[in-house]
This record gives sequence, C-alpha cells and structure tokens, in this order.
Amino acid sequence: MTPSPLELRAKAEEQAARLPPLLARAEHLAGAVLLGEHGRRRAGMGDDFWQYRPAQIGDSRRMIDHRRSAMGDVQFVREREWQIAQSVMLWVDQAASMRFASSNDLSSKADRGRLIGLALSVLLIRGGERVGLTGTRLPPRRGNAQLLRLAELFSEDSDDDYAPPEHRAMIPHARAVFVSDFLGPIEEVKLALTKAADRGVRGVVLQVLDPSEEAFPFRGRTIFESVGGTLSHETLKATDLKDRYLDRLAERKSELKALCDVAGWQYGLHHTESSAQSALLWLWRALDGGRAGA
Amino acid sequence: MTTIAGIGWLSPWLLVALAALPILWLILRAIPPAPIRQRFPGVALLLGLQDDETVTDRTPWWLLLLRMLAVAGLILGLAGPVLNPDADGTQGDGPLVIALDASWAGAPRWGAISEAIEVELNRAAAQDRPAAILSLTDPEAPVFLAANALVDRLPGIQPQPWQPVDVSAIRTALNESTGFDTVWFSDGIEYDARDDVLALLETQGAVNVIEGVSNSVGLRPATYVDGLIELNAVRSQGDVAQDVDILAQGRDPSGNATALARVTAQFEEGAQDASVELSLPSELRARITHFEIQGIRSAGSVALSDDALQRREIALIAGLESREGLELLSPLHYLERALEDNADLLTGGLSEILPANPDVIVLADVAKLADGESEQIAAWVEKGGMLLRFAGPRVAASDVSRDEEDPLMPVRLRSGGRSVGGAMSWGTPKTLAPFPEDSPFYGLSVPQDVEITAQVVAQPDPTLAERVIAALSDGTPLVTRKSIGQGQVVLFHVTANAEWSTLPLSGLFVRMLERLAIAAASGTPQAEDLAGSVWTPVRVLDGFGRLGDAGTRPGVDGADLIDASTGPNLLPGLYQSGDRNIARNVLSSDTVLTPTAWPERIPVTGLSRANERPLGGLLLSLALVLLFVDIVASLALSGRLIGRQGAVIGAFLAAILIVPGAPTHAQDGDDFALNAVSELVLAYVETGNAKVDETSMAGLKGLSDALFFRTSVEPATPVGVNLESDELAFFPMLYWPITPDQPRPSLEAYARLNDYLRSGGMILFDTRDANVSGFGASTPNGKKLQQLASSLDVPALEPIPNDHVLTRTFYLLQDFPGRHLGRDVWVEAAPPGATQVEGVPFRNLNDGVTPVVIGGNDWAAAWAVTDAGSPMFPVGRGFGGERQRELAYRFGVNIVMHVLTGNYKSDQVHVPALLDRLSQ
Repeated sequence: MTPSPLELRAKAEEQAARLPPLLARAEHLAGAVLLGEHGRRRAGMGDDFWQYRPAQIGDSRRMIDHRRSAMGDVQFVREREWQIAQSVMLWVDQAASMRFASSNDLSSKADRGRLIGLALSVLLIRGGERVGLTGTRLPPRRGNAQLLRLAELFSEDSDDDYAPPEHRAMIPHARAVFVSDFLGPIEEVKLALTKAADRGVRGVVLQVLDPSEEAFPFRGRTIFESVGGTLSHETLKATDLKDRYLDRLAERKSELKALCDVAGWQYGLHHTESSAQSALLWLWRALDGGRAGA
Repeated sequence: MTTIAGIGWLSPWLLVALAALPILWLILRAIPPAPIRQRFPGVALLLGLQDDETVTDRTPWWLLLLRMLAVAGLILGLAGPVLNPDADGTQGDGPLVIALDASWAGAPRWGAISEAIEVELNRAAAQDRPAAILSLTDPEAPVFLAANALVDRLPGIQPQPWQPVDVSAIRTALNESTGFDTVWFSDGIEYDARDDVLALLETQGAVNVIEGVSNSVGLRPATYVDGLIELNAVRSQGDVAQDVDILAQGRDPSGNATALARVTAQFEEGAQDASVELSLPSELRARITHFEIQGIRSAGSVALSDDALQRREIALIAGLESREGLELLSPLHYLERALEDNADLLTGGLSEILPANPDVIVLADVAKLADGESEQIAAWVEKGGMLLRFAGPRVAASDVSRDEEDPLMPVRLRSGGRSVGGAMSWGTPKTLAPFPEDSPFYGLSVPQDVEITAQVVAQPDPTLAERVIAALSDGTPLVTRKSIGQGQVVLFHVTANAEWSTLPLSGLFVRMLERLAIAAASGTPQAEDLAGSVWTPVRVLDGFGRLGDAGTRPGVDGADLIDASTGPNLLPGLYQSGDRNIARNVLSSDTVLTPTAWPERIPVTGLSRANERPLGGLLLSLALVLLFVDIVASLALSGRLIGRQGAVIGAFLAAILIVPGAPTHAQDGDDFALNAVSELVLAYVETGNAKVDETSMAGLKGLSDALFFRTSVEPATPVGVNLESDELAFFPMLYWPITPDQPRPSLEAYARLNDYLRSGGMILFDTRDANVSGFGASTPNGKKLQQLASSLDVPALEPIPNDHVLTRTFYLLQDFPGRHLGRDVWVEAAPPGATQVEGVPFRNLNDGVTPVVIGGNDWAAAWAVTDAGSPMFPVGRGFGGERQRELAYRFGVNIVMHVLTGNYKSDQVHVPALLDRLSQ
C-alpha cells in the first residue's frame, strides 16, 4: 500500500529532522577545534584552493578562465593543485548497548560516539581528507555532501546487543577510527584490529563508557539486563559483584590497550559525563600525530 | 460480646489468628525482597560471576517488626474490640420504649439527653430490640421500629414548654401496647401526673429511669409593686448558694431587641427561691418584653411581661383653658405634674383623643359634653376605660347630674356645692377622714394639712354609700366611683387645682392618682374577670424559651388562660384581647420546683456514662498506616524511592502524607503582621461570600499591579482582613464590598474600626449596585451599608465636589466609574470655612484624608485580573469599555495616592506663593 502523502511527509520530516541537529552539533564542535589550536594551518588543501597558469597548447578552450584572462592579453587556465589526500574510515558502534545513559542528565553513549565521529568527519573533510565508513556502505569520499551521507548513516540504529567492528573492505594504508564501548566479545575486536594491521591500516580506538559502568552503583537483589534484552544476569547481592566487575572492566581495558599497541593503534577512553570537546581534541591530535608520523 | 482484659471483643475467635504471627515472621524472613530489574550494558562482563553468599540480603528486622505490627493491628481490629463495654446496661430482648419528659426543665441539657438517648438506641440496636420513643409531653401511640432508624428521628424531638399533664392521653396512647420495657429520661422535676404515668408504664414492663443530676432554675412572673419590679427566681435544689443573672429584655428606641437591664438574684444556701427588685424608669419599663435568666435556655427561665408593666396613656382635658401666664391656676397644672413622670399624657380635644384609646381620660371641671361625645366616652368606658372627673365652678354651676344621675357621673350632685371655712362661712376647713378598707386608697396615710374649703356635694342616694371611696372628716363624700361595663368613672368633688383645697398640693394627691390609674390598667386579673372572653396568642414560647410568632393558633378562653395548666392547647406566651395583653408564663407566681422522688424499686441512673467506643476502626487505620510506612521503607531499602520512577513515587507519597488541612490562612499572629508591614499591602474586608472575596482579592491585585507599573507605590500581594480577629492598623486603606448577608461586626470590631478611622485609616465602601444616590436605601446593599455604618464614626458626607483633592492626586479625574458608571461618590464634607483661593482652581479643602469613600460602582470587578493578568470581568462595551476600565484604574491609583500622600496635592494652592518666592 502506498503511504498517504501525509504519512509520507511526516516520515520524511522525521528522517530529515534527525540529520541537521547532529550535523549542526558536529559542525559546532568542529568549528571550536578549528578556531583553536589548529587554526588555518592547512589552508589551501581544501576544495577552494586554486591557481592560474597560462594556457598551453593542449588545453581545451573550456578550461580557460575568462574572468582572469580578461584582465590581460594572456589566457589563463584555472586548475587545482594536485593533492594527496588520506582516506579515513570510521566505525561508530550502532549496537543497542550504546543506547544507554545512566541518568537523564547524561547523553547516551551512542549519541556521544556519533557526535564525536561526525565532528571528526567535519574536521577531516575541511582538511581535505576523504572520509567514509568501514565496510562497503560508504567508501571514503570528499566534499560536504559526504557529511550528509555520514550523518544519515550514523543515525541508523542496530538491533544487536553488541556489534562486532566492521573490518571488511578496508583500504590498505588508510586510517581508521573505531568508536564503541567495546563491552562485547573481545575476539571480534581482536580479529578486526589484526586484519587492519595486516593491511597496514592504522588508527585510533576510542572507548566510550557511561559513568555507571565505571562505578557499578548497584545494591541488593538485582537482575541485570542488556539493553537489547538478550543477556541477563541475576544476583542476590549486587554489592558483592562490584569488585569483581571492576576487575573485569580493567582487564578489558588493558586487553584493548595491548591489542592497540600490537597493531600500532592508539587507544583512548572517554566517559559520557566529560565533555565531547576533550574527546574530539584527543582524537584529532591522535590522527594528526599519525599523519605527521606517516 | 466477650470481655478480655477489660476490652470487649465482638468476634473473639479471630484472635486465634495471632498465633500465626510467628510463622509469618519465619516466612517473611525466608523470602528475599523482590529483585530490581536494571538495564546495564556491562552485563556481558558480569556473565559467569557467582554470588559469594547463598543467603540473600535479609529483610531488616525492624521492617519485619513493622509488618508484624500491621498484621497484628489488622487481626485485632477485625476482632472488633470495644472500649468501655457496657455489660451492665439495659438488658432484655423485648421491645423498648424510650419515654421522655421532654419538658422545659430538660431543655438546658437537651444535648446531653439526646446523646444519652442515642446511646440507649444504639444499645437496643446492638441487641436487635425494636424501640419506640414516647414523649410524655406530647404522647402518641408508640410505633416500634428498628432502633437504628429511630436515631435519625431524634432531632425531630424537642422539649415542650410545659410539663406532662395529660395522663389520659398517655393512657390512650398505650392502650394498644402489649408489654415493653421502658427507659424513662426524666427532667428531674416533680409533677402531679408522674406517679400515674409510672404506674401506667410499670404495667407494661420494667422501668429504668435516667435522670441527669441538675438543678432546674425558673423565673416566676414579674410583679410590679410600689414602683419596683419584683423578680422571683426559684430552683429545684437548694443546697448551695447560687447567683443567677436576670436580664430584662426589650426593645431599644429603634426597635431592636436588646437587654435593657441586668440584675442578679442570690439564692441563699438552703433557699429555693430568691427575689430581687429592679427599679427602672417607667419609660424603660414599658419597653420590656420579657425577663430571662441568663445562660439557661429553658422556657421556665423566661417570664413574659404584659400590661402590668406598661406605661399608661392618660388624656387630660380641661373645661376652661387658662389664660397665658396663670399657669398655677390652670386646672390641669397639678395633674400634669403628678402624672408626667409615669404616664404618657395626651392633650387635645375629645374627638381627637378618643380614637387614640387612652387608658384614662381626665376631665377637669368639664360640665357639659356634646351629645356625641358623651356617648363615645360611655362606650369607651364600657370597654375598660377609666374616666376621672374633677369638680369645679363650672360643674357646680351646671345642671349636670342634678335631677337624675348622669351616665358619666358616679353620683347626683346638689346644686351649687358648698363652701366651708371661707371668709364668708362659719365652719373651719374640713380635713380628710381615714380611708375605709374597701377603698382603693386604703393604707394611704392622711396628712393633717390637707384642707378642703369648697366642694360639690353628692345627693343622698341608696347607692351613694357604696360609691364613696374617700370622704371628709364630716362624712361628706370627697371621691366617688361607679363602674360602667368594664370601666369606671371616678369623681373628685374638688378642683384639680389648689382653688378649692390643698389636696393637689400634697403628696397624697399623687398617690391617690397612682392607685387609681394603676388599678385601672393592671391589677392581677382573676379568672372570673376574664370568663367568656377569648384571648388570642400573639407570641408563644418554645421549650428552649425562644419567643416565636404564634401563627394561626386558636384563641383560648379567658378563664382557662388564668386557671388551666399549660399544655398543647395552652402554650405559654403572650395573649391578647382587644388592647389588653396578658402573659401566660411557664411558672406561676406560686410555683415551687420540687426534685423528683422515685420509689425504691425503680433503678435510677445518671445521664453521663462512659460510652462504648469501638476500637476496631482505630486499629485498622493504624494497620493501614503501618503498611504504608512499610511501602515507603521497602522502596527506600531497595533504592527505588529515589530515581526516575522514584521521583514520581515520592511525589505520590508526599501527596498522600500531607494531611489535607484547612487552607492555611496567613492570619497567624506575627506572620500576618510581618506580611502586612514589610511592604505596603492593600486590604479588603472579608464578607464571607466567597465570590465577592475572590473578586476583591483579584481587584486589589489588579490595582496593585497598576500602581506598580505606573507609580512609585509598589504594593505586595493584597490580603483579606477579618474584622473580628485581624489588626487593622497595618493597612492604609480597606476596601469594603457590601453584601446583603454579611454579618454585622461585633462591638469590639466596631471599636477597632473606629480607632482605625480616627487614626487616619480610610475605608472605601462599595455597595456594588451602582445605586447610591440618596444613599441607596432602595437596594438591599444600600440598606446593609446603612446598617453596617450606623455604628461607625463617620463624619458628615457630601457628594465628591469637583475640586476635591481626590480628583487630582495622580490623574486628573472627574468621573469615578468602576464596573458601573454611577456618578455619585461620597466623601467627607468640606469644613464650612473652606474657601477658594484666588486664582487657583480648587479650594484648600479637607486637610486630612477623608475617612470614608462611599460609592456603588463595583470597582473591584473593574480592577480584577486573573492570575495570567487579563481582566476578569468585562467592562462596558468595546473601546469605550476599556476606557472605562482605565478610568477605574485611575480612580484606584488616585485613591491610594490620596491615602498615602494626604493633602499634599491640596497644598498646591500655595504654588503661586512658592513660585513668587523662588523668583526672588
């Protein structure tokens, strides 16, 4: 059945409404970074860099820039400088476990991850890099239109409780950013990082955690359920579990860090109660540093 | 009902359930608290972790105890505990009759009696006994009903203003009955029929008597003796000394009921009666309607007054009006002086006076009456009038009653009279003989200096001897009297002035007149005097001693009125026949109140018994409260009291826990004062009408807002003041809307209002009816305003003049519309000396603030705003209406400015002078 125009429009607006706020927030965040430490150090690398050279034989007439040529007798051709751009592939965990916030005042992990991911994309695209997603859905491209596509894909939710990092179709020697809580099975992460290292891809792992996941503030008889509802664990005395849970969490972190070290990646930890700005700054520096080293 | 530990239990077997409590304890202890479901992404890390302890978090002992107590309370409550179980109350299973004296003697403690009856009925209901109520003062055949149903009918039973007298009626009422037990609520006063009633009731079954131990106090009819009102109070129990206050109730000059005098009667120890005398000016005395013993609501404590205390009307008519300046020779001079103190004197022609129907007509030296007049007077005398005649030269010279007796003369007279002891006669002046025993003057002492020098002489007649009531020392009649119908004619054979005798100069003359006049108007009527006449009730008493309108009750025979005992057919009250009033009181002048003496075989109990109190409800509520506490505690323990849903639960709990009480009124002493003085506060008088008060509040709020926005006056939220309890001195002005039904403030409140007005406060009266022209006596609000303001210290008022300072304190105004457009607003009148200053458009007027502003434009409604700040009521129509509202606001601003700045704007009359000085 064809949806009625009203329904269609309502849905369309709902879909459209999700993009601009995320994008706007991301641009806002990115703008703050640009105005900060980095300034316009890399101006000229972007889309609007151009130069004129005198027209030579072989240039088609269509290439002549008439506005410049009209200033004198010489005909000029407007051309872009030859650029070498990096490809950066993002993976932001869309799984259900990310859609969790322990209190109304905090944003959920998914929100925070997407925001940071998109803001990073904004920065990178302004810097002339090509940005895409891991996997085959959105290969790295340049241009502001890519931001819209990114925003759209970031807005999708996955029903799985824990999603494995997407490691297919990684472009060799590209750079990658993985954003997740990494509370799911570690083997998948290990597989992805190993594969990436095999292809010469280096990058950053950003673990986003909710404060309650660090503090484990539970008492009494409790049934813990995953956000998707597939996993559950019942305890009669939650306070007793706290220490052992924290041990496991620390173990998970160190495991991740060790993996990163092996693969030549960088590992970062972000809590949703701290500001997104700090995470973005750290991420930018991490990628930047990687570039400088490359 | 089983009694355990002094408490009765309706279902004692339920207590067995208490044994289950320890088991419950164990079960509750074993069951862990319900788990919390918690979303937590880190659950993946938890998988596989085992609990160290196999035993869960235990429910804390105090929570268990709480639950145990709640369950115990539940069990105990359902078992039906009863405090003060009445094991020894009236037992039995037959029908029960509640017999009531229901006489005036029980009226003062009628509330207690009603409660005791209710207790008795409840007990009968608990025993499933049918019951009936038999009021002995108004007996009807008992109708047996479920005792519960009777409780609803209790308010319909009221004490009657008489004692049970009609044994035959009671016997008739009980004719059909076939045996019942009786609980007899006695009022504690002996009456004749009581033994018979008791015998009647005892033939039906057991009789229990419930009798409150109380002293009944009554008031006998007031009597008027020698210028004093004698009041006689009696009581039934004379053990201790006792004071009772007796109030003389009557009407004030404006016709409102008020207490005219108060006197205290003291019962000596052991005495059953106490008398006290009350001396009142005759004018006051005539206004008395009844006497009552203060603080005792009973028909027996009320003594109605009748003609005996009334002021008489006496018409004075002289045959020859004296010439001006010769007052001492006026035939009426001494009469007037003798009578003016205690009678209303009428003067004028006979034709004018007769329709006024005076009690006494005095004819001084009037010989000849016109034919019509004499017939009219004769008719008046026959109806009970008293004609008092004095002789004189004209009577002596006339032929009146010469050959045959004039109907309006007591005796025949000899021609010319006689003169003794004069210059042209032989004998000496005559003195008075002592008064005979059958004379109304009997007992008055005869002063020796009273001398008679001339008189008219009566013709000897067979009837003469019985008609003489005073004679001279030689036996010649001096005062003669004759009865005509109900009235009488009295003739003084001398003049009413000092021409013929010195009698008018003596005190004896006054006393003789008093004897005659009093005897003419009052005297205790005897049954035979009234036989055959019909008296209609005007006002009747109810059992509580309240005077009520008699309505259409039938009249009673005169003889019965005096002799018969009061009952349903003869209510105590005020009876009227013609122009005569006779009061029939509950007590007669020889009534003695005797306490009841019950035979030994009759059990007598007091009224006050510890009532049975079922405790079940109390325990059940306690259990509920405990369970509630348990909910809160459980939530708190499991951490669910606080949090996302916790906030909702907490709010819910708070909503329940807050005991809904009366809306807190900011009138609590210091709070009220602090609120009122910390900022400027406009105030309105609470009328008790919620809608008007709300409008006043909203109106003053609107006005406060307008002041805030437009002027430097920044008032706080307005308040309502209760005139009875709140201090007024904090408020610069009071807005007082008038409603027809608002209560009149008490005297103390008026005193404080007057203080408030004198110390610079202002009251804005608003009749809200747009009609205050001529002070709006035509509307209920206007009348109410007059009534309210009559006790206020309000100065002379005038419609607001064009140059009043109120027209220019902030805005220049000439109209003062509110929701209505009435023009008239009244303010304190300008002092007469206020003059217009040269060159200034207004006078130096009203140095102070006018204490009242009176209008009827319903200003508050025009000012009123809702909480959102939009107008509450429409005013006028369209833009013109908005303009009117604006003017109303301007008036409000002006009036507040006027109150706050006083005559500041008036002082602008001095502006020219000031400018002049500045220019120098």
